[in-house]
Amino acid sequence: MVEDLWLNPWLPVMALATSMVAALVIFMLPEERHVLRTALNLGAAVAKLILVIVMVWGVFHGLEYQLSFTMLPGIEFELKADSLSMMFAGLSSVLWLLTTAYAVGYLENSPNRSRFFGFFSLCVASTTGIALAGNLFTFFLFYEMLTLSTYPLVVHRGTATALRAGRSYIIYTLSGGAVLLLGMAWLYAETGTLDFAPGGVVEGSPTPALTAIFVLLVAGLGVKAALFPLHGWLPQAMVAPAPVSALLHAVAVVKAGAFGIVRVISDVFGIGFASEAGLLLPLAGLAAFTIIFGSVRALFQQDLKRRLAYSTISQVSYIILGICLAGPLGMVGGLVHLLHQGIMKITLFFCAGNYAETLGVHRIDELDGAGPRMPATSVAFTIAAFGMIGTPPLAGFITKWTLGLGALEAELPWVVVVLLASSLLNAAYFLPIVYRLWFRPRSDAWPEEVRWGRLETLGWLLWPPVLTAAAVVMIGVFAAMPFSPLSWAELVVNREYRP
Amino acid sequence: MMPALPFLAIAAVGLPLLWLLTLPLAGRWHRFGLPLLPVPALLLALVSTSGWQWSLPWLLMDSQWLLDDLRRTFLTLTAVLWSTAGVFALGYLDNRNLKRFLVFWCLTLTGNLGLVIAGDAASFYSFFALMTFASYGLVVHEGTDEAFRAGRVYMAMAVVGEMLLLAGLMLAAEEADSLLLTELADAVVTAPQAQLIIGLLITGFGVKAGLPLLHFWLPLAHPVAPTPASAVLSGAMIKAGLLGWVLTLPLGLATPGDWGDLMVVAGAAASLGGALAGVCQRKTKAVLAYSSISQMGLMMLLVGAALATPDRAAVIVPIIGLYALHHGLAKGALFLSTAVHPPAAGPVRWAYWLLLALPGFSLAGLPWTSGALAKLAMKEALASDHLTMVTATWLSPLMTAGAVATLLLILRFLWLHHKQAEPAANPPWRTAGWLLTVAGSGLVFWVLPWQAGELVEQPYWLPKAYQYPALLAPIGLALTAGFLAALLVRRAPAVPPGDLLALWPARRPASGTVRAQPAPAGRALQRWSDKVSALSVGADTRLRSGGLLALAILVLLVTLINQVS
Repeated sequence: MVEDLWLNPWLPVMALATSMVAALVIFMLPEERHVLRTALNLGAAVAKLILVIVMVWGVFHGLEYQLSFTMLPGIEFELKADSLSMMFAGLSSVLWLLTTAYAVGYLENSPNRSRFFGFFSLCVASTTGIALAGNLFTFFLFYEMLTLSTYPLVVHRGTATALRAGRSYIIYTLSGGAVLLLGMAWLYAETGTLDFAPGGVVEGSPTPALTAIFVLLVAGLGVKAALFPLHGWLPQAMVAPAPVSALLHAVAVVKAGAFGIVRVISDVFGIGFASEAGLLLPLAGLAAFTIIFGSVRALFQQDLKRRLAYSTISQVSYIILGICLAGPLGMVGGLVHLLHQGIMKITLFFCAGNYAETLGVHRIDELDGAGPRMPATSVAFTIAAFGMIGTPPLAGFITKWTLGLGALEAELPWVVVVLLASSLLNAAYFLPIVYRLWFRPRSDAWPEEVRWGRLETLGWLLWPPVLTAAAVVMIGVFAAMPFSPLSWAELVVNREYRP
Repeated sequence: MMPALPFLAIAAVGLPLLWLLTLPLAGRWHRFGLPLLPVPALLLALVSTSGWQWSLPWLLMDSQWLLDDLRRTFLTLTAVLWSTAGVFALGYLDNRNLKRFLVFWCLTLTGNLGLVIAGDAASFYSFFALMTFASYGLVVHEGTDEAFRAGRVYMAMAVVGEMLLLAGLMLAAEEADSLLLTELADAVVTAPQAQLIIGLLITGFGVKAGLPLLHFWLPLAHPVAPTPASAVLSGAMIKAGLLGWVLTLPLGLATPGDWGDLMVVAGAAASLGGALAGVCQRKTKAVLAYSSISQMGLMMLLVGAALATPDRAAVIVPIIGLYALHHGLAKGALFLSTAVHPPAAGPVRWAYWLLLALPGFSLAGLPWTSGALAKLAMKEALASDHLTMVTATWLSPLMTAGAVATLLLILRFLWLHHKQAEPAANPPWRTAGWLLTVAGSGLVFWVLPWQAGELVEQPYWLPKAYQYPALLAPIGLALTAGFLAALLVRRAPAVPPGDLLALWPARRPASGTVRAQPAPAGRALQRWSDKVSALSVGADTRLRSGGLLALAILVLLVTLINQVS
């Protein structure tokens, strides 16, 4: 199964093409071809998932899938499936399938569905490209494509708030892109290469120019990763429809930024170089501040999705913090959170969407008694919330434990204090929601209740969060199994440290 | 090693979860499975051999489950009490929110059973956390304002405890480069931050075990829960903190610092302070909750002595298990009896009061009960000539004082129950559950199939002649004091449950909403000054009678007994 087939170099392209082709066909479909569009969407998502699974299997057995051609003299377009890219590609393909199913239910009977699903697929194609990009240039292409394909999703509803949020989003991310481009050009001038390689491509001793390039690259990527003080667009962008928020917070935009920072640190500068040049500790400090800042701001939000948005700002910085610990355990902790945070946060956004669509509930203080009314959704929410807090044996605990040990290994005990403080704050803003769901009686009617037959809500909306919540439990309880996020992160780090 | 044991272990933690999953399909018969859920765990405790280990490399981060004499004792306690409390629950619960209650019951049970057999930090902490968070649902089940206040205090302290624990476990695991609990304990001693780790572990588990100053939630939360839940909270779950101490602290190894002596002081404060706050209670269940704090204080003495005297740890640790088993079942029986109505008249009435009082007197060390054995074993283990610690000479008088205090509490409990309980008929399951627990408290102790420590002589259930005074003197003293108190004191001073928590100004009512916006700085300042004034005024009125009096008597009693002996 893992022999060198002639097909192998084409697998990354095919994985990319599934969503790209789906996007183009869907754009051309008439609005009312509901069944065909759904079939196309789901078919493409399943096809992509299968391709990614095949590649994961191959990469596990030491294969590399690579395809490149020269675009400009000295600048290559390169797609490559290595262990790190499979992590992000795997996350995006699994969650694309679930989010597509969810979006089908969510947008039932609403206008402009072809436009929506077209850009939705394009957005997923961009994340796949980001995952599979074999050098910084290719990464940048897909990174900008992601910006452009998400904008129509953010403003999908077309309301004044949505347009305002979209404007803010586009200003932030395009400026970030410009800074990234500047950093990239300077990097090319300085080193003559834009390749990604395990252990980094930067050689020699640290220079001020390299430091400046690092700052530019991280600042450019930090906009999407919602690193303080570049986070302003994210809480506004939650006006987008729930499936968009779910994808935005779990895989697409925020993760693309974090993934980019991981790539830059580990495969461009190299952890050893970056750490010796003293670049990582300041970034770790910034990430730690963002973690606490996001949690504190989340505490004061009364809108459910806004609270989740600030929670994302906090949680995504765990990934950056982990990489900045500059040791194998810390890196495992950061990488594993790339997947864990995605699965937990998408569950929470799915659930928030379910409360909004089924009960008309948007605010946390309207959630009283939602547990008995929507038990499956609320169980999923509860599991994901406890996962975020880092309660064992759920996914978040594995992250927190690995990161904590990584911090102690790197002799940075203050990081453990930050992790504990963040857990306390997470408990402080998630537990009151759980309490309202299950223990507060419902006294008055729901704001806008919709009945969907036998189930508590539409099946399309119900199953995705139930599955992801089950995954939150499974990837925690069975963290030591092969192909679990933890095992895969260990594989990535092993290959990084012993290339 | 028996090949079936892994299956039994999986069944022990899996059966409650499986039963939980079938809840949506449940008919009326389904709830009768409740008492059977801990049965695989009980079987596991009985048929396994000490030293049984099972590695589960696929679970969490490479787990290991194991059983030794200590864990088998704790597992027996946990399984028996949850089972008999389950019988009781059949005759206690009504249909209001029944499913919700059963969900939390099963989750808590899984956690409580699992943590006993866990041999590595990750699975231990997982089960511990499951128990901690799920038992919130048991505490607040009645849905009263009082229950939600108790739940809030409980949750706040539990979360803080979890964080302390996590920090301690992480530091230890980093030092040990392993997750196995035995290796953690070994590594703690040589760690540069040994003091910090030990402090974190003691306080982290102390929240659950009722360590003084971390105990406030306990007299609030244990009484407000439905009675069968109170029984397992105060009988079985409270022991999880104790077990955590024994498993993670470096007992038997030379430990830096004076943590052993500190724990002895804390244990003394809990044992006497808890008793004195307890006699000032107005509700039977609150009296019993304080009695639990007081009894846990005695177990803290043991842990402290084992920590301070490494070469005695091997002797003391089995006694801790015995004491936990004895106290858990007796306290469970007492909690259940608060909801059993006395018969109107006749010899049944006499039998009722006899069975009601028996576990209580057992706690005080009445000869021929489990308490007598536990007390004697403890006394011998803590004999001062074996111990080198600073507080060694205080241990014996502290134990005597503790026994007196215990019986005073029991007398207070009996008095209150006598005044408050109305004669009525009991649902049969309720009576059965209570009787089973009383029987368990009286019998389980004697049929343990394994050696529970080398101090226990055969036939150990008959104290030797010279031991009777040691057992009977505190009982006589307490009876006299109780009688005098009944003559002289018309009304005991009242201490609010949660004692020192009364210093904390009253919070917003349960129906209030979470604050929407951060208050401006000016308002925050105003609130702080309000708090400070409320603190001085409220503290004075609420604690004037109870707290200070209790403190004075405590000091007096210990000094007196130390002089006498």
